[in-house]
Amino acid sequence: MERRTFITTAIAGTACLALGVNYYSADDIGVNKDLDNNHRLLLSVLLPVFLDGALPDVAALKRDALHRTLDAIEHTISILPLDTKAELEQLFEMLEGRLGLLILTGSVTPLMMRNQSELVDMLQSWRTSYLDLMVTAYQGLRELVMASYYSSPEHWSRLHYAKPSFLEDMK
Amino acid sequence: MAIKDPVKAGVDSGWAHINAAKLTESQTLEADVVIVGSGAGGGVAAEILTQAGLSVIIVEGGPLKSSSDFNMEERRAYPDLYQQAAGMKTTDKAIGIFQGRAVGGSTTVNWTTSIRTPEPALAYWAQAKSVQGLSKAELEPWFEKMEQRLNISEWAYAPNRNNQALKQGCEQLGWQYTVIKRNVKGCWNTGYCGMGCPVNAKQSMLVTTIPTALAAGATLVSQAKVIKLEHHKDKIFAVKAEAVDGNMKPVGIELMFKAKHYILAAGAIHTPTIMLRSKLPDPHEIIGKRTFLHPTLLSGAVFADPINGHSGAPQSIYSDQFVWQDGADGELGYKLEVPPIHPILIASKTIGYGKSHAELMEKFNQLQVTIALVRDGYHENSQGGQVRLTDNASTLDYPLTDAFWRAARRAYASMAELQFAAGAQQVLPISEGMPYLSSWNEAKKVIAEMDLAPLKTVVASAHVMGGCPMGEDLKLSMVNSYGESHYFENLSVMDGSIFPTSLGANPQLSIYGITARNATRLAEKLTA
Repeated sequence: MERRTFITTAIAGTACLALGVNYYSADDIGVNKDLDNNHRLLLSVLLPVFLDGALPDVAALKRDALHRTLDAIEHTISILPLDTKAELEQLFEMLEGRLGLLILTGSVTPLMMRNQSELVDMLQSWRTSYLDLMVTAYQGLRELVMASYYSSPEHWSRLHYAKPSFLEDMK
Repeated sequence: MAIKDPVKAGVDSGWAHINAAKLTESQTLEADVVIVGSGAGGGVAAEILTQAGLSVIIVEGGPLKSSSDFNMEERRAYPDLYQQAAGMKTTDKAIGIFQGRAVGGSTTVNWTTSIRTPEPALAYWAQAKSVQGLSKAELEPWFEKMEQRLNISEWAYAPNRNNQALKQGCEQLGWQYTVIKRNVKGCWNTGYCGMGCPVNAKQSMLVTTIPTALAAGATLVSQAKVIKLEHHKDKIFAVKAEAVDGNMKPVGIELMFKAKHYILAAGAIHTPTIMLRSKLPDPHEIIGKRTFLHPTLLSGAVFADPINGHSGAPQSIYSDQFVWQDGADGELGYKLEVPPIHPILIASKTIGYGKSHAELMEKFNQLQVTIALVRDGYHENSQGGQVRLTDNASTLDYPLTDAFWRAARRAYASMAELQFAAGAQQVLPISEGMPYLSSWNEAKKVIAEMDLAPLKTVVASAHVMGGCPMGEDLKLSMVNSYGESHYFENLSVMDGSIFPTSLGANPQLSIYGITARNATRLAEKLTA
C-alpha cells in the first residue's frame, strides 16, 4: 500500500476537507474518461514541453513524432509493474483533476489551458522542489517521456546515430 | 547468411524446455535438484550438477530469448531482457537498477567485464564476516576453471574511443588502469552486449552452461515465477511457482517442483524476496538486509572528435586508482569504468528536458561518459539496503548515506580531472544544477560546492549483491561458506546474494568461480 500512495493520503485528505472539493473529477477539464483511458490528452500537452528542441521542425513530421511517442508511452505503461503503474496512474489522475492540480501546481487551471512558459514554470518548480514527491513526479514523467521518445529509430536523426545494419544485410 | 541461433537449434533438437505460459493445466515436476534462476549462479550450478549425473530442473521467471530475438534496439531489449523493462528503482526512486530477467539472467545483458574477486574483499570477509576457505589461493583453481570454460581473456583489440579516453586520462595522470578480461569468443566488437549478443560471441549462460545442461538432459522451465519454498522442520519439500506472461503477469497456471535438493539462484533481490515470502526461519533477522549496489555516478564529457560510445566493446579499460585507497573499511572507494552509450540509456540517465536536453542529445557522438562505481558495505556508514515485501512484489529500500555522498563528491572530481586530462572540452557531472565545466580548475571549485541529494543526483546500479550473506557465524550469515543453508539441510544459495559486502568489482566472475566451487562440493555430496 505504501508505494501506491504516491501523494500521501494525509495531504490529499486534509486538502479535501479544507477545500470541500472532490478528489478527482474528469468533468473539470471536459475530458471524457471513456475516450481517454490512456491520458493521451494530458500527455499531448506535456510532450512538446519536455521535447522542445528535440521534435522535428516540420509540422507534419512533428505531429507524427508526437503520435509515435504517445504510442510508445502507452506501450511502456502497459508493461510496467503493478506498483509503478498504480503510482503513475495516480499522478495522471491528479493532473487531470482540480484538487490534484492545486496540490501539485498551486493552481486549478487545467494544463491544456496553460501556455508553454507556464508549463515550463510548473516543471521547474517540481524539479527544484524540496518535497520529494514533487521531484519524483517530475523525474517519473521525464524518464517516461525521454525513454519513449528516444526508443524510436525515427527520432535518432538529430543524434546522427543509426544502429548497425549488418543483421538486416545478412538476411 | 543469417547468424545461427544455437538455442533455437537446441530447442528444435529436443531440449526439454517448457514455456510455463503456454501450459494449459497445472503441473508437478520432479528432479534430483531444482535450481531457481538461470543467471551466473544458476547456469554454472546447472552444468556442474548435470555433468555429475544428477537430474536438474532450472526454473526461470523470465522468457527464453536468444540471438534471433536480439535486434540491437533498446526498445525490444529492455522489456524482453531486463527486470521491469530496465526501469527498476529503489523504494525512494533515487537509484535506477539494471538487472537481467530472461534465461541467462544478467549474463545475457551484461557488458562482459570479468574480474576475479579482489583480494581486499576476500580478506575482509575472512576477518570481519566469518567466511572460511575463500582465500585468493583457494579460489584460484575455480577462477581458472571458469575463465577457461567461458573463454575469459584480456581484450586484445584497441579499446573503443570511449574506453580510450579513460586510458588516456589515467596515463596522463599516472593513475592505475587495467585492460579488461571479457567472456567472449569471436566477438564482432559491435557494442550491443547490453541488448543481448546478436552473434552469440558473448559467453553468457544462455549459450554456454545452460545449453550443455539441457543437452545432457536437464529441464528448463521459463516464465515460471517462483512464489515460495514449502518447508517443514529442517527440510524444503517443494517449490511453488506460477506461470507468467512476458510482463510477469500471472496467467492462472500453478507449478510445483520437488527435489532432493533446492538451489536459490534468483539474484540478490529475488532470492531474499522468495525467502521472505516463504517465511524461512531467520532468528537474527538477516534476510534481505545488507543489500549492496555499487551505487554509480556518471560524468559526461564533450570531446572535439567523435567518441561514438555506442560502437565497440563497451568496457575494455577500468581504473582501480581509488577503490581501496583508504583501506577496506575506510572512506568509500570507487572504481572508474565507462558505459556503452545508447539513445534511451543516455536520454534517461541525464538531466533536464526541453532545449538543454535536446542540445546534449545532439552531442551524442561527441559524448564520452565515465562512471564511478562506489564500493559499499564495508564502512560503518555504508550498510546497504533492505529488501522488503510489498502487496504485489518486493522493493529495495536503499538509503544513500553521508559516507556515500562524500565518495560521490570525490568521484565527480576524479572523473572530471580524468576527462580533462584525456582532452575533454567540457565536463558535465550528471547531477541537477551542474553547468558544463570548461577546465579542471573550474571543475575543482564547482564540484567542491555542488549540491548532492537523492533524486537530484543521478545514481544507477547494475550490480545487486548481498541480502543472504555467507559465513560461519550464525549472527552474521544465512548460509555457510559453501552457500549451504544454516537452517535447511537441502537448501543452498548460489548467486550474488551470498556476498557479505559489495565486491569493488563487476560481479559475474566472482559468482561463476564461487558457484563452481560450491556446486562441485554439492555434486559430490549428492552423488556420494
